[in-house]
Amino acid sequence: MTTAPARPPLVRSGDRVIAGVCAGLANHLGWPVHMVRIGMVVAALAGGAGVAFYGWLWIMVPTADENARRNARRPASPIAPAVSAPAAPIGSGSSGGRWSGPDVPGPQETGPRETRPPGPGPQGAESQGAVSQGSWWSKAPGMPFGKEILLGAGLLLAAGILIARLLGVDVPLGTLIPVAAILGGAAIAWMQLDETRRAGLVDKTKADQAGGWARLAAGLALVVAGVLVMVSGSGSWEQTWLALLASVAVLGGVALVLLPWGLKFWRDLETERAGRVRATERAEIAAHLHDSVLQTLALIQRRAGNEHDVIRLARAQERELRAWLYQDADKESGKLSESVKAAAAEVEDALGQAVEVVSVGDCVMTQRHDALVQAAREAMLNAARHGGGTVSVYLEVVDDAAEVFIKDRGPGFDPDSVPPDRLGVRESIIGRMNRHGGTAAIISSPDGTEVRLRLPVTAAPAVANHTNGEAKP
Amino acid sequence: MTSPAPETRAGTPTAGNPRPTRVVIVDDHAIFRSGLKADLDPDIVVAGEAGTVEEAIAVIAAQRPDVVLLDVHLPGGRGGGGREVLAGSAPLLGATRFLALSVSDAAEDVVSVIRAGARGYVTKTISGEEISAAVRRVAGGDAVFSPRLAGFVLDAFGTAPADIADDELDKLSARELEVMRLIARGYSYKEVAKELFISIKTVETHVSAVLRKLQLSSRHELTRWAAERRLL
Repeated sequence: MTTAPARPPLVRSGDRVIAGVCAGLANHLGWPVHMVRIGMVVAALAGGAGVAFYGWLWIMVPTADENARRNARRPASPIAPAVSAPAAPIGSGSSGGRWSGPDVPGPQETGPRETRPPGPGPQGAESQGAVSQGSWWSKAPGMPFGKEILLGAGLLLAAGILIARLLGVDVPLGTLIPVAAILGGAAIAWMQLDETRRAGLVDKTKADQAGGWARLAAGLALVVAGVLVMVSGSGSWEQTWLALLASVAVLGGVALVLLPWGLKFWRDLETERAGRVRATERAEIAAHLHDSVLQTLALIQRRAGNEHDVIRLARAQERELRAWLYQDADKESGKLSESVKAAAAEVEDALGQAVEVVSVGDCVMTQRHDALVQAAREAMLNAARHGGGTVSVYLEVVDDAAEVFIKDRGPGFDPDSVPPDRLGVRESIIGRMNRHGGTAAIISSPDGTEVRLRLPVTAAPAVANHTNGEAKP
Repeated sequence: MTSPAPETRAGTPTAGNPRPTRVVIVDDHAIFRSGLKADLDPDIVVAGEAGTVEEAIAVIAAQRPDVVLLDVHLPGGRGGGGREVLAGSAPLLGATRFLALSVSDAAEDVVSVIRAGARGYVTKTISGEEISAAVRRVAGGDAVFSPRLAGFVLDAFGTAPADIADDELDKLSARELEVMRLIARGYSYKEVAKELFISIKTVETHVSAVLRKLQLSSRHELTRWAAERRLL
């Protein structure tokens, strides 16, 4: 028929009249939707072949959401991106891999704080439910239209039958009405249990869950009534009512007996699902600890003799673990504080001195902030190299400026009599800040040195257009 | 991290006092407790140790120490950790002071124990000299602010000074802001005093005032700030 090499997968479309079969088929085949629909109706009138085909496709073809979910390998989890992210560079990453073999951590090795990291817990599952539920309801506005068509078709059918009777054709109403009732009821119930719908019913936060159940019950009632009328044959109302009452009683009794079982089954299912989510989470934490912490511990053991290396490894690992546990990656990416922290981490790795960063306020990075970070990095390198001890870095972003203070507790120096080799450094701090419309000051005393960098929002006119992004969060 | 040791000895009331400072160490890791015990200066006596919330409340009630070194994350109790110990020792809060210790410097951990009544917060990577100084400072009734805690305070209260119209608890005064900023920049109390041309005692007064505001303020922004970090 068609020779198109790549066509969209056959999935039931969200643009639906009944179940999205025709739209999906049209999308798959590349035909216009209304052509497919008309074809289907014609086929349906031709001895019901279309109905059978439609029903078959309805059952066999997944919706777009189901298809996507089936293709997705892993459950969505907020931790997953953190785990797949590359671990922080850990010092001299030589042959740590050799040690990884026997260290596969059991769950109990993950430590007592294992439950602390911001776990996805039930959110992971919820968000999945929300996806499918949203998709059904976002299409809901299309449904009234579909209902009207169904209603119209039904009325047309009824009119056709009436006309046929007027013309003297013998229409077996006694069997036709029950059959119609059964079909209608089944259709309603099936639409309810369509998998996308089921996800909605399962979701407890769903507001109109009751409505869904009511429709399901209505479908059930229609089918039962239809079957009864068919079985009781004659269709005498008194008989039918009696039978209906009896059957409802039987159904009620069965429901009463089966309800506890059903509930228990349901709860077991929920528990199992929650357990699986937890197990996945635990596996991811274990994987992370294995990739980072255990590797570092192995490295530390092998380098126990070198104090400098041990401190550096421990600091780098601490930083990485802290970032993993406490930082909101989405919130901080592309921000000034993140860049300053990254620069501090770089200096820590390079020189093995602890660099503590405290930040207040934040803003989006711009080109000018890049200069600020570079100058700060230079100052940190200097402080770590000459100061000794912990380097304190304080970043404050206020409405009109960003300021960075870098303080060490070294012996200090006289800025006016710096040796020639320090000139380059001072150029890359003071000169760089001045070039970008900021200021830098170096205050040094025997108790330590502090470098103060300030970058106003509006500086030299030449660079003023870069400052649009600077806004207080 | 907080403040260099030597000069604090002269500034605190315990200076020259033959009576040693009695502390209780509450931490679930025995290795850390023994390490800390070895690190503390000789004039600080460890009167007791505890590893769980229940043990801690019992030991503190029995020993009535001057200072409790309290780990934020503790097993036992109802899962509240250090905060639960503070709540359980509420009647003693006047005489016994709490200094929170933790490996975590997450905002929720730090601010929640401070609001529960701790007089200071230091991370466990602090040196023995520094922790001894912090213990003496807390025993003397002052607050111990690390640069990070000062950063949280500035974040929570905002960096704009208080107007006259503002509720006293809701904002920091211009002077308190200056002090907090310098502490966040890594200044010791002595250096802050020198920088601002005030006495160390005045710095301590400002810091204590900030601590009080942090503990008592119900300011809308603070609540929102805390809620964002899942504190409340």
